Amino acid sequence: MNPDERGFVAGTGVESQDLVAVTDKMARSIVAVPVIQKAAAAPYVILEPVLNETRFPINKDMFLDRLRVQLSSKTQGKVRFLARERLAALEKERAAKQAGQFTSSANPNVQEFKGADYLLTGKLQGLSTRTSKGTSDYILYTFQLIDARTTEIVWEDAAEIKKQGLEDAAYR
Amino acid sequence: MQMLRTSGLCLGLAVLGGCATTDAESPAAWTKSGDAMVDARQAIETAPAKDKVLWQYRASATAMRKGEFLQAKGWLDDALMTLGGIHAADPSARKARGMFREEGRKRFLGEPFERSMAYYYRGILYWMDGELDNARACFQSAQFEDSDTTDKTYAGDYVLFDYLDGLATSKLGGDGGDAIRRATASARQARLPAYDREANLVLFLELGRGPRKYGDGEYGEQLKFREGESVARGAVLRVAGQTISIPAYDNLTFQATTRGGRVMDHVLRNKAVFKTGTGVAGDVGILSGAVLAHNRQTREVGLGLLAAGLVGKIVSAAANPRADLRGWDNLPQWLGFAAVKLSPGEYSGLVDFVDERGAVLANKSRAFKVRIADAPRRDSVVFISDRND
Repeated sequence: MNPDERGFVAGTGVESQDLVAVTDKMARSIVAVPVIQKAAAAPYVILEPVLNETRFPINKDMFLDRLRVQLSSKTQGKVRFLARERLAALEKERAAKQAGQFTSSANPNVQEFKGADYLLTGKLQGLSTRTSKGTSDYILYTFQLIDARTTEIVWEDAAEIKKQGLEDAAYR
Repeated sequence: MQMLRTSGLCLGLAVLGGCATTDAESPAAWTKSGDAMVDARQAIETAPAKDKVLWQYRASATAMRKGEFLQAKGWLDDALMTLGGIHAADPSARKARGMFREEGRKRFLGEPFERSMAYYYRGILYWMDGELDNARACFQSAQFEDSDTTDKTYAGDYVLFDYLDGLATSKLGGDGGDAIRRATASARQARLPAYDREANLVLFLELGRGPRKYGDGEYGEQLKFREGESVARGAVLRVAGQTISIPAYDNLTFQATTRGGRVMDHVLRNKAVFKTGTGVAGDVGILSGAVLAHNRQTREVGLGLLAAGLVGKIVSAAANPRADLRGWDNLPQWLGFAAVKLSPGEYSGLVDFVDERGAVLANKSRAFKVRIADAPRRDSVVFISDRND
């Protein structure tokens, strides 16, 4: 079974096929943004965790991770990402090099950690209804690319998915 | 006549197999080790598929009380995955609605108050991990499970689920105003404190033994609840020179008994009517048939009636209207909560349980140690139960 297919075991929450569909759509949309497409040099992007405002607990990092992988593989270097979530480990490594504990291929005292041009983030919001027959869940996925220098939102797109689940009378 | 009745019943059992009962309460194929966690694991591993979620619920409550939070997380995630699925085409549920199968044959998901508690415990664990938005999602789902009551006065009326939803929102930089207003409107037991975004020690409290299911009616077809018990009605938290009263906000017996009827109750009532009806028809057939069979002129009709009566008795015996009495039997009766702001550092705290009059219950106190981190800024979460099972 492919991750973009609805499985036999299904719920009304966020599922793999939603993740695939939403991140595919967002990746296509970001690539078409002029500031990315026409940039003289590939911009640096950092990922800010997605905010989950639905009633479903989710692994939020998966959305941005898949989006990053899609963009990295499909744009052939038009977008570059900074590993800010690994900053603590990177700082530790640099400090060890600066202290002479490890070897270094360049001067470790020169600041080379790059600043971001854009910040990519998103939000999941939900609307749920429950009746005597079952459950209905609508989820709105919104993503934004924000200019780190000006705070301007240079791109924004959304995807929406609605699911309904009937419940057997034995559970009502 | 008695022999005929007995053989008729046995034949019915053999043919329809409908009277055979399954009991999730009976010990599984393992012997209790005396270690609650070992027993919990064994119960989950050996439980029939239909009871797996039930045992995961019970085991996760045990694990929470033992401080085995990682284990509780795994069990709750597994149970919630089943709970969150769509159950429209569940064959076990379809069979449970059948006239000759008991309700307890269906896959256990629990009554709404039990489902809510699974989300509540998972929410606490997300809070411990610093995932406030996922914790909030769980509290919202917990409240959502209670949203389709027959009487809408009692729909989504857990106090803490709304309060915690709003507190998490407030801590995430949002406006928890709506949620605290809903929580305040539902609060029957105690007044809720205003949100303190800076509070960094959050304490979840649970007290007593929760509601228990029992079957009422001629055939045990009515699902009813025995009220939970708890001597403790609140607690006092002593930490870093502060003394904070922790009242109980939610009463699980109240939640279990204010949902109104279930659709399944109608199904079971119909099964009970069918069982009585076929039983009476069987008695009439057997008695009148036996009388008529004595007379040579009416013997054929009499034997026919006798046979029809027997069939009626067999069918009646096989009809199974018994309500599903499997239940999450180690839930608490009361839920409480407190949030306190402390400076970074290590603290030893004490929770004294108090009775209805506010008197401290002897030999019941729980001590705990907690570390308030300077950075990264994350709430320290303490889970306190007056139970140890």
